Amino acid sequence: MLLQQMINGFTLGSAYALTAIGYTMVFGILELVNFSHGAVYMFGAFICLILITTFKINFLMAFLLSLVITGILGMLVDKICLYPLRMKNAPKVTSLISTIGVSIFLQNLVMLLWGSETKNFPMVFNLGTLNIKGFKLSYFQLVIMGTCIVLMIGLTLIIQRTKLGKAMRATAQNMEAAKLMGIHVDQVISFTFFLGAALAAVAGIMIGMYYQTVDPMMGFMTGLKAFAAAVLGGIGVLPGAVIGGLLIGVLETLAAGYIHAGYRDAIAFAILIGVLLVRPVGLLGKPVQKKV
Amino acid sequence: MKKNRKSLILIALLLVTAMVLAACSQPTSSTNNEKDGVKESITIAVTGPLSGDYAQYGEAFRKGTALKVKEINANGGIDGKEVKILLMDDKNDPKEAANVAQRLVEDKRVVGVVGHFSSTASLATAPIYQKAGLVEFSPTASHPDFTKQGTYMFRNINTQAIEGPIVADMVVNKMQGKKIAVIYINNDWGITAKDNFTNAAKELGAEIVAEETFIGGQTKDFTPTLTKINEKKPDVLFLAAFYSETGMIAQQMKQLGYNIPMAGLSSLFNEELIKLAGDAVEGLYLSTNFFPGDTNPLVQDFITNFKVEYNSEPDQFAAVAYDTMGMMIEAIQTAGTDRAAIRDALAQMKDYPGVTGNTTFNENRDVVKSLKVLQIRDGKFTVVE
Repeated sequence: MLLQQMINGFTLGSAYALTAIGYTMVFGILELVNFSHGAVYMFGAFICLILITTFKINFLMAFLLSLVITGILGMLVDKICLYPLRMKNAPKVTSLISTIGVSIFLQNLVMLLWGSETKNFPMVFNLGTLNIKGFKLSYFQLVIMGTCIVLMIGLTLIIQRTKLGKAMRATAQNMEAAKLMGIHVDQVISFTFFLGAALAAVAGIMIGMYYQTVDPMMGFMTGLKAFAAAVLGGIGVLPGAVIGGLLIGVLETLAAGYIHAGYRDAIAFAILIGVLLVRPVGLLGKPVQKKV
Repeated sequence: MKKNRKSLILIALLLVTAMVLAACSQPTSSTNNEKDGVKESITIAVTGPLSGDYAQYGEAFRKGTALKVKEINANGGIDGKEVKILLMDDKNDPKEAANVAQRLVEDKRVVGVVGHFSSTASLATAPIYQKAGLVEFSPTASHPDFTKQGTYMFRNINTQAIEGPIVADMVVNKMQGKKIAVIYINNDWGITAKDNFTNAAKELGAEIVAEETFIGGQTKDFTPTLTKINEKKPDVLFLAAFYSETGMIAQQMKQLGYNIPMAGLSSLFNEELIKLAGDAVEGLYLSTNFFPGDTNPLVQDFITNFKVEYNSEPDQFAAVAYDTMGMMIEAIQTAGTDRAAIRDALAQMKDYPGVTGNTTFNENRDVVKSLKVLQIRDGKFTVVE
């Protein structure tokens, strides 16, 4: 049973990790906790579902198309709700509240458009399960974990090795100075939001397919957990998000399996608080020296 | 200083406008009807979750009650007065529901309330309605304590004290469940449903091998719970849950490769369950007091009218909301529009012929309705004899 529970936990954890990557990237660039991320994740899953069921587009096209649509949504969120605040030099907490507003707006928009009931997400490809001595590991679980690692590596490369990545890092360090060096700060930020939202859509679609259900509130809890995962791993550090996500998933599953299902979140979050008390910067985070 | 004074003036102005508006709005709305000779109307409030996690149930309330009202108005309303629905969203949140209740009791046009949806919201609002003397007639709140809150609380659904033993009999005798595992939603309804079921099942000689819970609207991942339950090798998995979570449980169980027969309460009777979970819910047993296959002409007419109006099949929530509105209107027809008189008329109502069966209140203003046992066979709800 322990092995099966670990497998359950790793799959759930991969879902958190996928979502946490988006959180941590936006934070890394903008130092903004983007609470609309959970709702964007849900939106991505819904768009993909609608493209498949209503417009009868094949899965691969629908998948790519929903990444683009969700990415554009992410850019719009920034342009409409955050850009005006940046222009007015509003405190960061104002932007944070604005993202919470966006998340509520998106949830209700989806409910209005497509109804509030839980919807079936069609099983697009049945990969079957791997049976090892009575323990079941579905190939789809491996796909989720694999996607998670590929995205993590890919993003790290974009940020560390490309010119655009350099511009992103420069913007993160000092927006004014980056602007003076001729970096199109607004474009860089737009790109960051595009990427973050597209990542959220990947996570949403994967999870929709794994549980074969989507509902307008699916992003709320996952968003919170993914945020916790990003903080646990060290916010702003991509591998940290993955490790944090896996850890929370496994802890939660073990708590539900061996202690009490009603306290699963409480136990997982208690451990999170414990870790942060010992290492306030998170597991892989490095203390940042703030300029005076 | 200048800024301060400006804002002071602004606040004062706002206050004055607010007062003027408040003073105007009340009398105009009530006198308008008589002055202009517009047909008088009677307002009944309908409240439930129209947004949020449980909005599909609020939607069923809205459709069911609106259909009844449409039928009544087409036949001349109540004594020539048009019936109007005042629709309020309580988001299935007890705090929000209390706000809604407060507004309804203060609104003098409202003569009765159909709602709220969950036992939790209904319990939270009961003291407000009781104090003001306004009927709170819930189509769905099945927690035993709800109608004990006061003399203005009515319900149109079997309490779990009645449904629990019937379903326990179904699980132990029809499904041969000797070792039963239970998953229940962690709220007022889920806990009483679980308690009533497990007590009755134990009396019938069954053993409860696992009791697991989850948080409604939050828990999406049931794999640890199911893995734990599978270890206990139960004959039957009993679910005190709604269809959305039941669909997820069934699908995740299939994905994990476990094969445990499932049973549930009337809360699962919804076509969406089959749409959602497909063959994962094949063979599931459940109870219900509304079944569209019923040959009763009353039921068939209701289904036809509902399809014409909304182009979809009614579920039991729409059906019970339809009946609840019907009973409320009948009480108003005998008692007039006095809030207290409506309560008395409702309490004395005998054998109201509804689509969810004949309904009479007992001395606690609870109903007793017969239940049918259904099973999902070949992707359809089928009556089990």
